[in-house]
Amino acid sequence: MRRKTRRWGFFLLATLVGLAVGIAFGWLILPVQYTSTGLHTLRVDYKTDFVLMVAELYHHQGDAAMALARLRYLRETSPLDIVQEAIAYAEAHRYAPGDLQMMRNLSSAIQDLPLEWD
Amino acid sequence: MDTGMNEDTRKFRIRHEPTPKRGPWYFLTGLILGFLLGLIYTWWINPVIYESTHPASLRNDYKAVYRSTIAQVFAETGNLERASLRLDLLNDENPVYALGAQAQRALADGRGEEAHDLALLASVLQIGSAPLDAAQPTEPILSATSTIQVIPTQTLPLPTPTSE
Repeated sequence: MRRKTRRWGFFLLATLVGLAVGIAFGWLILPVQYTSTGLHTLRVDYKTDFVLMVAELYHHQGDAAMALARLRYLRETSPLDIVQEAIAYAEAHRYAPGDLQMMRNLSSAIQDLPLEWD
Repeated sequence: MDTGMNEDTRKFRIRHEPTPKRGPWYFLTGLILGFLLGLIYTWWINPVIYESTHPASLRNDYKAVYRSTIAQVFAETGNLERASLRLDLLNDENPVYALGAQAQRALADGRGEEAHDLALLASVLQIGSAPLDAAQPTEPILSATSTIQVIPTQTLPLPTPTSE
């Protein structure tokens, strides 16, 4: 009886050790590799560059609704937040004044539009 | 001498012989079971979530959006250096081919303006990557006042001008 209990104890211990090794393996050594991510998963500098592209297009085309539609690809809570974050990042990393101005213009333009995401 | 054992008792005692040792299989089984549970948890139930990805890891349709936006910005600004740097982020094996193929798809879908912008960038990139002939002038391809001519490639049909 005592031997059986001890055996179960070792079994549970081994399971816990295996679980810990499995978690370390699955999270650290060989995590799931996503190769099909969306624009919303981009790193902040790439997101900022995308916002800058939208701002450049808005600067030349003057179509705020289209700019909003493009920002929708970033799927954040609010397009205004995206642009504000991008401006903050661009200011911190000393983007060219012209680029900053275009992003600020975009921010002002989309403030006047209905900003609900679907 | 009577030992108190009859035939049945002897048989019973034979059945109670000590069982052979099983070895540490239960330990190994536990380890494997735990490891598999760990993998199931980390790969399916709670996988690592990537929130800071590179444009090269984007899904193909998002890459197309990114590429198209680059081309549209280039068509508006004429900034080839910036467009090239941005295109490099997508890690396309052959950016000119990728742009051309996307231009063809856009054209087939009736998005003529987008196709034009993509084809324009493909053409300019192709000119930029071609070795310069010594006899050719070394003027910049684009200037603020120049009109950009789309040069057809083997993969690209000339975008038909729209009546806008």
